[in-house]
Amino acid sequence: MNSLLIAFAFVCLLGLGHALSLAAHAVCTDRRQSRRTEEKARALLRSWLTPQQANQWDTRKEFEVIGSHTGTRYRIRRATAMNIDELDSRGKVVTQWCFAPQGELAVGDIMLAQKIALETMEWNALASANRRVLRP
Amino acid sequence: MPTQTVMDHTGDTRHQFDATDQAAVAEAEKRFIELTGAGFTAAKRTGNGTSELIRTFDPTAEETLFIPRLIAG
Repeated sequence: MNSLLIAFAFVCLLGLGHALSLAAHAVCTDRRQSRRTEEKARALLRSWLTPQQANQWDTRKEFEVIGSHTGTRYRIRRATAMNIDELDSRGKVVTQWCFAPQGELAVGDIMLAQKIALETMEWNALASANRRVLRP
Repeated sequence: MPTQTVMDHTGDTRHQFDATDQAAVAEAEKRFIELTGAGFTAAKRTGNGTSELIRTFDPTAEETLFIPRLIAG
């Protein structure tokens, strides 16, 4: 009887070990996939930047764009929320904006969508955005 | 070779087509219509870091990027 119990416990432990190993493998695979996605999005972003923006991105992980309708200068920072700073003529942040493409996208894709939107359809992009005014 | 790049959860998916192949061009145009119809914005690369929005399929565009619909973040 005791030997049966011991055998049963041994089999349970083996099963548990196998399940844990599979779970750890799944987590690692997800992380690798996520890292690849982020790298791919960053490469796409980098390829659509102007030389000046690429230089800003390489050194500060942010870059500036000029709004297509108003000529306003914006700074897009590496983040997924409230990451667009509207700058005044002295470079001070006056308003923060937030809009993004729908869906689960990597940060690089979000920043690229924000850049193209501000540079080509500024008013439409800001019409759908949340904003926080910092200095009236 | 012209490329259509679609932003998605994998980063992006790229579709290249031969501009001299009528069937490939038709397929690319169909993809353009489907994506823009679904709310994607299409931007054509015009220079080094510059782009312009396009609302109709441009078979001469060397690279077209499709961005999902923009929403408040």
